[in-house]
Amino acid sequence: MDLKGEAGNFTATVLKRPRYIDEDKCTACGTCTMYCPKPVVDWYNERLEVTRAPHIDYAQAIPSSYYIDARECLRINHETCNLCAQTCTAGAIDFSQQPKTLELSVGGVVLTPGFGRVDDEVLERFGYGRFPDVVTSLEFERLTCAAGPTEGHIVRPSDETTPKKIAFLQCVGSRDETCGNGFCSSVCCMYAIKEASVAKEHEPDLDISLFFMDIRTMGKGFDAFRQEATKKYGLNIIRARVPKVEEVDGKLALTYVEEDGTSKSDLFDMVVLSVGLTAPEDAQVISERTGIELNKYAFCKTTPGAPLATSVPGIYVAGAFQGPKDIPESVTQASGVAAHISELLKEVRGERAVTVTYPDEDRALCEEEPRIGVFVCHCGVNIAGVVDVKAVRDYAGNLPGVVLYEDTLYSCSQDALKHIAERIKENRLNRVVIAACSPRTHEPLFQETLRSIGLNPALIEMANIRDQCAWVHAQEPEAATEKAKDLVRMAVAKARLLEPLEQPTVDVTPSALVLGGGAAGMAAALSIAEQGYKAVLVEKTKELGGNLRRVTWTVDGEDAKKVLDDLIDRVKKHPDIEIMLGTEVKNVSGYIGNFTTTVERGGNTELINHGIIVVATGGREHRPKGFLYGESDRVLTQLELEERLKRGTSFLRNATRVSMIQCVGSRGNDLNHCSRICCTQAVKNALKLKEKRPELDIYILFRDMRTYGLYEDLYREARTKGIKFIRFDKDSYPQVVKKGRGIAVKVFDKIIGSEIEIPSSYVILSTGIAPGDNEALSQILKAPLTKDGFFLEAHAKLRPVEVAVDGVYLCGLAHGPKGLEDSIAQAQAAAAKACIPLSKGKVAVAPIVSHVDQKKCIGCGICASLCPFNAIEIVKVDKKRKAQTITASCKGCGICASHCPTLAISMGGFTDDAIFAQIHAFGEGIEKEA
Amino acid sequence: MAKIIGFCCNYTAQVPVDVLEKEGVIGGGVELRRLPCTGRLEVPMLLDAFGEGADAVFVAGCKIDTCHNKTGSLRASKRVRYAKGLIEELGIDPELLEMFFADRGSTGDVVEAIKEMEKRTEKGA
Repeated sequence: MDLKGEAGNFTATVLKRPRYIDEDKCTACGTCTMYCPKPVVDWYNERLEVTRAPHIDYAQAIPSSYYIDARECLRINHETCNLCAQTCTAGAIDFSQQPKTLELSVGGVVLTPGFGRVDDEVLERFGYGRFPDVVTSLEFERLTCAAGPTEGHIVRPSDETTPKKIAFLQCVGSRDETCGNGFCSSVCCMYAIKEASVAKEHEPDLDISLFFMDIRTMGKGFDAFRQEATKKYGLNIIRARVPKVEEVDGKLALTYVEEDGTSKSDLFDMVVLSVGLTAPEDAQVISERTGIELNKYAFCKTTPGAPLATSVPGIYVAGAFQGPKDIPESVTQASGVAAHISELLKEVRGERAVTVTYPDEDRALCEEEPRIGVFVCHCGVNIAGVVDVKAVRDYAGNLPGVVLYEDTLYSCSQDALKHIAERIKENRLNRVVIAACSPRTHEPLFQETLRSIGLNPALIEMANIRDQCAWVHAQEPEAATEKAKDLVRMAVAKARLLEPLEQPTVDVTPSALVLGGGAAGMAAALSIAEQGYKAVLVEKTKELGGNLRRVTWTVDGEDAKKVLDDLIDRVKKHPDIEIMLGTEVKNVSGYIGNFTTTVERGGNTELINHGIIVVATGGREHRPKGFLYGESDRVLTQLELEERLKRGTSFLRNATRVSMIQCVGSRGNDLNHCSRICCTQAVKNALKLKEKRPELDIYILFRDMRTYGLYEDLYREARTKGIKFIRFDKDSYPQVVKKGRGIAVKVFDKIIGSEIEIPSSYVILSTGIAPGDNEALSQILKAPLTKDGFFLEAHAKLRPVEVAVDGVYLCGLAHGPKGLEDSIAQAQAAAAKACIPLSKGKVAVAPIVSHVDQKKCIGCGICASLCPFNAIEIVKVDKKRKAQTITASCKGCGICASHCPTLAISMGGFTDDAIFAQIHAFGEGIEKEA
Repeated sequence: MAKIIGFCCNYTAQVPVDVLEKEGVIGGGVELRRLPCTGRLEVPMLLDAFGEGADAVFVAGCKIDTCHNKTGSLRASKRVRYAKGLIEELGIDPELLEMFFADRGSTGDVVEAIKEMEKRTEKGA
């Protein structure tokens, strides 16, 4: 509602609307939705379905609690009905809730409102709203979703038949000045290919055509995905912008002009509009209330040197509000913003932390004969509606070792947990089986209960009789009950053999090692130091700056040197950053929290102890073969052009024409990936040339202009300023030839259908970004590389700046090609992630780790070679090779245990004995039946 | 198979007949003749079309108020009315010649016209 104050001391006034359902009491059983008489449009499912006033948007929503749509509810608007409140067995529905105005005292503010929708008016130009089978990509996404309104079946909204031919129209509401959205939405090309692929997986006979202007799949690994999908699913890629959609006899007709100028028409059963991302609808309101500046498209205004900072100190932005972007970039920015906030609030870090203390574990009780308690959950009607819970409970009572068996209405509710804790104490139970739902969501809750009464959390076992019995066998209650008994019998058998597990922690050396002194490395080191930890910045060459040193202007026309000098200055002045120039990494040993790195500087080796590593080793400009590069001094790379321009324009004195060739090296030549930045760089440099010498004739030869996001403005500016663009295909690359004393570019122009020759004073090659010397470092760190030679992140979307090896973080060109803006955001993200273990001071080790019985181990080393996390080392014990788990690094995946030829390795919580007991218990039931 | 010849202006049907035929929207034997405007249409052109062996002939012009040339489709409709009288004298059912008004840029309306004429030829046969 309002924001007052300044960085470090804001007061935010927030309006909290009532949910009318108490999220602590709600068990998400769904009874309220079932009984509510008021149908309501389901906005989450893009208006394709109806739900009821009380509902949950989707099953995984957080909090996992229902809420009542106040605009629709009969009780709230007309004081009638009240059915839901009467049927809710958990008593969670509370109509007395009122809107609350909260005053929050905060140090920093993060803006993440996401993106807005393209106006319906724009969609109507393509028949949306008039023809039912014209759908938006968001609607199509819901149609292909297994949990969506059609359970994943693709049907036409008009007659619910399966379509045979589908067309995707790109750039609807993007790259379109007529609707005010001059920018490129960056994500639609990729998601359209994804949706088309998903559709083909469902319906292999579908005929799918996609209409592109340029295919902008410039993200890491995206081009490879596009190639693979186009080939595997036989997608028709058509380069045309379709002006409108007509309805012809129940089908949808598209008329378009192909690249060679011929007019074509085709009929489709369904048309999907790939709608773009716009600024959020309330961007203006946010701007007015917080004071931040917006750019001309109402996205938040930022600069390439500080991509996450708004114009107001202490207010930061992440995600699509900063400009259209995909999930990995949004997640990266979110982490980067966390770093900013952590810098801002370092003085007060940990002040509000709440420490939970647990009673000491009762070791003696664990040692006793197993005394098992079985709790069978009704989950309201969720389980009890199908499974005969009482029968399962009584069955459990007959199993060996079971001393207590009970059923509970909602075992995860607060009072039930208290009851369970009391019953465990009264009966001196030392093993617990909960027959309820999924351990993935609820095991931590029950483990917490065990810990609170002095039992080791490993002494619990769950049987998932909700998902695996009640839900999947809803039509066969008797069989579901039998299966529930099987699962409980197996869980009890395993529970008998459960052993308490240690929960060790290791101390963390509170300093970071940052490899690489380019823009990313410096930004990461700065952020770590600003958050209050020591950083050692190791640079291989004699000076800081990396590739940024060769860049002359940032994309917004700012002097790149200013950004660079500012970074270097701040890094040099910071007391917590130690800079090591001319230094190379020779070896890294240890694990998260306790790394020891051997570096070599000027012939001397030194040892550095540190808690974490940030890899920011960068990449390099690709050096192409051919194109007369190196043979003629008139052929330059884009960076070489920038370096010349930095010195002055005298080299252009007699120049009349400059041609630029894109994708030299990138996209399937020497390099398989798209280098992402070259299109924008070429346009930026072309505009700079035009500015210095307006009479220059400039050509840019390209395959797809990938000036994504707001860079599209530069592309349009280049076109309006008379820079000529010619598209070529992968199989007809332009050639650079000698022509008398000069040079010329030969290229096949598709529009006029013949080869043309462009005599050029200079030919500029956009050569792309090649990976640095990542091989050696990858082996030292045991951090895997992608096929293209860049470091591989732990998860593209969820963990974009972490490496599979714990304590190693990633940013800049070492991760993949990207511009300054993205590199800096990513460096800040890596710094945020890196400071998590540094600020905790201790790393908790997951209790489920592998354990090597060294008596059985024969030292073959298979486990060490297979471990994806570098968590097993071979040590000498009495002169014999033995494997040993580094528990701090172990993730408990079990690969080692499954491969050990002498069964010397067992997994905590999943010992061979316990798993065999579980399997035997299953067999007993089968034998009885037979 | 009935042969149908249609005259349409540049602003009505966008999708070519062969595409419609391939997709099974209309039967074979349809020929569309494009005019800059149906106002260009002359009565002999309609009679010639029958002379060429057409079983049915139709004209699809813009809706009266939306004609690019103001009164083009109105003129066409008058000529169609006049030609109807002539073919009746020649012993051809006047129902086999018709004027249709289509939304500008709407192939759908032209397809409706084709279907209508297909129906009429079937009835006649």
